[in-house]
Amino acid sequence: MTDQQIIDLINTSLEEEFELEAEDMQPEALLFEDLELDSLDIVDLVVVLERAFQFKIREEDSIQDIRTLGDIHRFVINKKRSLTSDKT
Amino acid sequence: MTWPQSIFTIRPLDFLLILLMNLTALPLMLIWTAVGIFLFPVLFLILKVATRWNAEQITRRLIWVYGRGWLATMLPFIRSELIARKQHKIKPPCIYVANHLSFFDIYCLAVLPSFNVSIAIRNWPFKMYWYAPFMHMAGYLNIEKMSWKKFSQSAAQILSKGGALLFFPEGHRSRDGQLQRFYSGAFRLAAETGFKIVPLCIQGTDEVLPPGRWWLKPAKVTIKAIDPVYPKSYTAPHDHRLIRKNVKQMMIRSLSEMDLNKRMGNANEPRSVWGS
Repeated sequence: MTDQQIIDLINTSLEEEFELEAEDMQPEALLFEDLELDSLDIVDLVVVLERAFQFKIREEDSIQDIRTLGDIHRFVINKKRSLTSDKT
Repeated sequence: MTWPQSIFTIRPLDFLLILLMNLTALPLMLIWTAVGIFLFPVLFLILKVATRWNAEQITRRLIWVYGRGWLATMLPFIRSELIARKQHKIKPPCIYVANHLSFFDIYCLAVLPSFNVSIAIRNWPFKMYWYAPFMHMAGYLNIEKMSWKKFSQSAAQILSKGGALLFFPEGHRSRDGQLQRFYSGAFRLAAETGFKIVPLCIQGTDEVLPPGRWWLKPAKVTIKAIDPVYPKSYTAPHDHRLIRKNVKQMMIRSLSEMDLNKRMGNANEPRSVWGS
């Protein structure tokens, strides 16, 4: 899976899950302020990402630093890379 | 949907009725709540000895009676009715999803035919210290404080014992009467457990007490139960999104019909199963 495919999958998953518009899915978009997600959505966000990418993220410390959509992209890409390198 | 933003925009006769309502209904509600709190331990013990219900069922039954009592105290000012095509189809076990217009939505849901209803709610209602002990005893679920795994396990347990779980999928009260974005919890739970969803369309509680207003206004409250949605008819992964989308569309359509019927001066609606 390329980085762009990961970004596309994240964006479409979040659009469908949170009824967001495609044009709002900019990397710099703040999750709470721009995309209007809230604390309840974060529970759904974790479930959506875990199901889309088949890995556990709720125990990850770096999840606390996520503020923007771009942070989610980077988090998932890095996680996928680390899982791939663990396997090889 | 609109409501008067100022009491000064209201006709004199209506003003007198509003004044009467606020001078009588609010004190009656406080008295009824105080009576309920003091009688609860006695009634709880009697029901514990006389029935085989567990503590959660007894508490839910007493909360339902409290809700019906509240509706009775409001009777001169709030006419409430439940509209359902087939009453047996909306009985638990099921997941109720309702639109949210007013603080009083939850009280008006006492028109539902079953008492065995737990509620999935956010954290703030648990801060109402006079209600919180009863909410805990009735097994209400704090969706904001629980992990999804813990929440879905507790919810599945309630449903498998024949209870119902009520959600307000918008998460908070609508400011303009329109349906807002839906959270996924109720629909994911339905997809995971297979229990049916019963959509409830509430109309009129925003006239009684909308967000941001502190005085009550007489109104007719209608709760329309739409035919259930069965998750088993959805088979693809992530179907909770499709269920959510379909249920929301059904509710938008139904609320528009109710609004139109109201403006046309009422209704060729299906029969009422309970009304006051």
